[in-house]
Formats: sequence, C-alpha cells, structure tokens
Amino acid sequence: MNALLAVPFVVPLMGAALALLLRGRRRLQAGVAVATLAVVVVDTALLLVATADGTVLTSQAGAWEAPLGITIVADPLAALLLAVSSVVLLVVQLYAIGQDIGGLSRAMPQVFHPIYLVLTAGVCLSFLAGDLFNLFVGFEIMLTASYALITQAPTRARVRASMIYTVVSLTSSILFLTGIALVYGLTGTVNLADIAVKLGSAPAELRMVLALLFLVVFGIKAAIVPMHFWLPDSYPVAITRISAIFAALLTKVAVYAIIRSQTLLFGRDDISAVLLCVAIATMLVGIFGALVQDDINRLMSFALVSHIGFMIFGLGVNSVAALAGVVIYLVHHIVVQANLFLVNGLIRQYVGHSSLRSMRGLTTVSPVLALYFFLPAMSLAGLPPLSGFVAKVALFQAGVGTGGWLVYTALGAGVLTSLLTLMAIFRVWARGFWGTPMPDMVEARERLKRGAHLGGLKFMAVMTGVMVAFGVLIAVCAGPLSEVAFTAAHGLMNGSAYIEAVLGSDAR
Amino acid sequence: MTDAESGRPAPAAGRAERRGGPPEDWEAPRDRWLSTAVRPAFGPRSVLLEVATRLLTPAILTFAVFLLVSGHDRPGGGFAGGLVASMAYVLRYIAGGRHELAAGIPMQPNRLLALGLLLAGGTACAPLLFGRPVLEVVSHTVVLPLFGKVKFASYLLFESGVFLIVVGLVLSVVAALGARMEAEEYEARERGGAWGPEEGGAA
Repeated sequence: MNALLAVPFVVPLMGAALALLLRGRRRLQAGVAVATLAVVVVDTALLLVATADGTVLTSQAGAWEAPLGITIVADPLAALLLAVSSVVLLVVQLYAIGQDIGGLSRAMPQVFHPIYLVLTAGVCLSFLAGDLFNLFVGFEIMLTASYALITQAPTRARVRASMIYTVVSLTSSILFLTGIALVYGLTGTVNLADIAVKLGSAPAELRMVLALLFLVVFGIKAAIVPMHFWLPDSYPVAITRISAIFAALLTKVAVYAIIRSQTLLFGRDDISAVLLCVAIATMLVGIFGALVQDDINRLMSFALVSHIGFMIFGLGVNSVAALAGVVIYLVHHIVVQANLFLVNGLIRQYVGHSSLRSMRGLTTVSPVLALYFFLPAMSLAGLPPLSGFVAKVALFQAGVGTGGWLVYTALGAGVLTSLLTLMAIFRVWARGFWGTPMPDMVEARERLKRGAHLGGLKFMAVMTGVMVAFGVLIAVCAGPLSEVAFTAAHGLMNGSAYIEAVLGSDAR
Repeated sequence: MTDAESGRPAPAAGRAERRGGPPEDWEAPRDRWLSTAVRPAFGPRSVLLEVATRLLTPAILTFAVFLLVSGHDRPGGGFAGGLVASMAYVLRYIAGGRHELAAGIPMQPNRLLALGLLLAGGTACAPLLFGRPVLEVVSHTVVLPLFGKVKFASYLLFESGVFLIVVGLVLSVVAALGARMEAEEYEARERGGAWGPEEGGAA
C-alpha cells in the first residue's frame, strides 16, 4: 500500500535524474522516460482499482503520524484523475519522441525528458497530497518544471509569453503561501483532514474569507474569469506537445485543488452563489473569445477557459450528482484538450503554421487528420455519443434537479456555450478543412511525404490516434466511469471517510 | 582556452599591453593563486580577492560538510550545507571568471543535480521495498573512540542528496546566467559586433 502511493511521484523524480545523466544518448534517455511513465501508468491503474469502491488509502511519510507528518492520500477522485493523467502523459511523451525521431523539431534540447518527468512528479504529488503544504510543494514542482518547458526552443514570442506565465504563476504561489499561513494561524495545522475538523468551529466569516482566498489562488491557475487572461497568451505559444500537456493537465490540477479545498475544508454553501456567477462568466467570456480567434491554438485555448466554467458550475450546484458530473467532466476534458492540441501540432507539421486565414482543404490534404480533429472537437461541443455529451448531460441533469434561478441561469449559459463551441468548431472546419487545398499546402504535403521525417510523422499520427481512441473509450466506458464518479462524489460530499482514513476513527 | 586546460599561467605578455592593461612583467602578480590564471573578462584582476578565495575555499567547504552532518538535531542539513558549499564555487567564479568555475567544479552541474536526485530519491524509496512508508529513517547509535557517541542514520544519505542537488542547482544558475553570458559577450566582442543573430527554433 505504501509503495503504491509513493511510486507516482518518487519514480518520475528518479527517472528524471537518470534521464539527466543520460544526456547525449537520445534513445536510451527516451527509453528511460517511457519506462518511468509506464510504471506510473500501471501503478495508478492499480490505485484506481484499489480505491474504486470508495476506499481511501493513506500513507504517512517517514512514519510520522497524521496531523504532524506528511500524509499521502488517494481517494477515488485522486486515483481516477491520476490514472487518466498518467495515460495522457505517456501518450504525449510518445508523440514527442516521434517528433524527435523524425527530426521534425529543430534541435530540441535534451533536457525535455528530465523536465517532463519532474512535471509528472509534480502533477502526481498534487493529486496525492494530504496536507496543504505538500499540495503547495506539488504545485511548485509542477510549475517550476512548466516554467522551463514553456521556454523550450526559445523565440522572442516564447520568452515574452513565458514572462507573463511565470509572473502570474508566482503571484498565485505567493497568495497560496499566504493562505496556508492564515489557515495555520487559525487552526494550527496544515493537514487537510485536520483542518476540516478544526475549521468547523471557526467563525463563519473567517471561513468565508479563506474559501474565497483559496478560490482566487487556484482560480488563477485554473484560468477562471476574470483571472484567465494569461492562459490564451501563453499556452498557444509554447511548442505543441508542451501546450498539449499544459492544456490537459495544469488547469485541471488546479480545478482538482478547488474541488478538494471547497468540499473538504469549507462549507460549500457559503460561496456557491459566487461559484455559479464565476462559472457563467468563465463559460461566456471564454467562448466569445474563441469565436474571434484566427489561430487554431489560440482558439482552443479560449475554448479551454470556457469549459473550465462547466466544472465550476458543477461545484457551485453542490450536490452529489453535480460533483459526479464534475468528475466525469474533468476526465473528459483532460483527454479532449490533449487530443485537440496534439492534432493542432500535426496540422502545424502539415501546413507549417496554425492560422486559419491561410489554411484551406485540410480534409483533402489528410483525411485521417480531419477525423482526428472531428471526433474530439465534437466531443468538446458535447455531441452524442461522445464523452463530452456524457459529461454535459450529467452536469445539466444535476443542475435541473437542484433548482434555484441562479442555477438555471448558469444552465442556460452552459447550453449557450455548448452551441457557441459548436459554432467555433464549425468555423475551424469550414475555413481550414473544407474547400480545395491551397497550392503551398499540397506542396508542403508532398515534401513531407518524400522527406526523411515520414516515420516520425506517422508515429505522431498514431499517437494522436491512440489519444482519440482513449477519448472514445471514455464514452464507451461511461457506465463504470459514472459509478466511480458517483463514489468519488459521495466521498467529497461526506468527507468523513477521508478524515477517518487520515486521522483514525476517533477523530470526530 | 589552452591556458585553462593546461592550468599554466598565460605567457601572453603582449596581449595585456594591447588591451591597455599594465604589462605582464611589471605589475601583474606572477604567483598563481587559483587553478587558472586567465584574467576574468570583466574588470581587472584582484589579487586580494584571489588570495582570499584561495584561503577561504577549503574552510567554506569544510563548514558546509559540518552543516550537512550536524543537520539532524541542530540547525543545518543538506540544504544549508549545499548553499554554503556552492558559495565557495561562486566566490571562485567571482575571483577568477568562467574558466576558474569550470576548473573548480568536480563535474557538470547537471550531473551533480542528477546524482543528488538519485541519492535522495533512492534513500526515500528504500523503505518502500520493505513495505514501510516512503522517507522512513533508520538510525543506529554507536560509540566510537575519540568521537564518542555517534548516530548513523539514513537521513544523512538523503541530506547528502539534497546537498548535491543544491550545489548542482546553484552552479547551473551560475553557469547559465553568469559564465555563459560572459562567454557570449566575449565572443561578441571578439567578432566586433554587438550580439549574434537571433537564434530561433520553431516546433
């Protein structure tokens, strides 16, 4: 049990060290990196199996008992997100290796794999952290790695974008530390379960202030409106595989932190109206932003912001069904976002840029590419029978069941957003995919076909296909997934199982 | 560069005159205080600083090890020790420039970082093999002649890993933001231009 819980963040760190030692031996380094992530995938799958029935697994690092030591906790929510994230991480890494083998990315520095593995460790530690400070550490490991990743293959634009990204992230980190200090001052502990017990007797106003502070801290990282401005400015500029993993995971880790802190620590009713208003703003601002973009990557980044709103909406509705909807949505969104960005990367390989204005007839240039774009895009818009439909139905059903005019307003905004997402995607489709291809695009394609890069490109396409298949698989497995989601949501709403698992049964 | 590799003082007397500095045989110190005698690219050479560095480096490194070992019950530990140890190298860099830094460090900063991470991670992982929680500490107290009671604990390995990580990290930063920029500036000056062409790479 101890090993199962520690592997997801310790093994990637060791793998990173090994990969760093193996600089200069590309194949061996790639092998180490893939093996490391494969171990993590297997381990997190086992974790998911072990926790699927609602069991909460804990491990006390250094055998120091709970409120004092570092607690590592895996509940169904954490295990599910870990399992999905690690698969996505592995597939994106294989895609990156395909890109390197083909020599498609110019002079990629050999620190990519070590940093990527450190990022993996940070993501896993954030999901597994059982105390506030360790959550901070997980976030910092993840963010520090991301600072390095976003400036890979530096250009003027990338350095500029990374400045914005770094400054915004550091601001949120400072606020996070402030929040931890305040919580510690109030309760004398940083252990999440212990805080949950002790905050119950704290004054309601103080609790409200802390809840809002943590909403801002994680909201900056999750890019909820009005703290979203940095995301469409920085993500699209990074190289594709990196923006894919950022879009898929980094914001979702922050959403996870919002869910964890708002359900376990604070009384949810306090700020559920705030959450709903923020959700409406996030959905609408994001999608209106997406509608006017010319660059596909920027468009997808705005769509990403907009769909974070759905998860905040579910949290604001505040019922078991709604939380289950959020969990399904999280899983769906991780895979779909990774997918869309990987496809954008392929488009860039084919066309050389990602501007819709000078793109036409991609379906003719590469039918497979069109399919790879079509499926996740439809899933994002929420068309049946894809995973987005399952997730949205779960959320909307929960919303209808709860009532209240604000919930219905948010529901309306959600439906509108889905339709506008469809519109944004049709814009991409009509401009980029339909029509007779531009002559330079056909030329570029012929060049690619003759070139030595074909093997790498094919590998990248296969990996994108794997990701598409994973997305479809989520829709196929909607039954078991929703069971796990409901178990996780019960655990979130109740909290006592989590607290007991960490502190022992005599905690309350 | 050849001077740095052979570790001998630079015999280039004419070069200093051409640069407008004092002639080599007049004012410049002959004795080699640091392992390389290459002038730092920035500013004139300071004998005082070189001598001080030469004398202080062993003391600083010893103090760093002291901090590392004493860390369990008293203030100190791998992090503090690592910072102090890296200060010794930073001092050498300030006194002797980038060649001095390159001659002084035992291996590439990246490798130091990786080895430290392996050591720390390995120590953290070891209890997992016995089904114990990650990071658990095993310690053993023995009585040694001269030293008295000495506690050997597995955290020392972990802390040594942290030590190496910190040294590797600081040296990477110095190498990237100090030495490399210095080298680039030197190259640019040699070429006579301001900066080289913009280097870019697209995905």
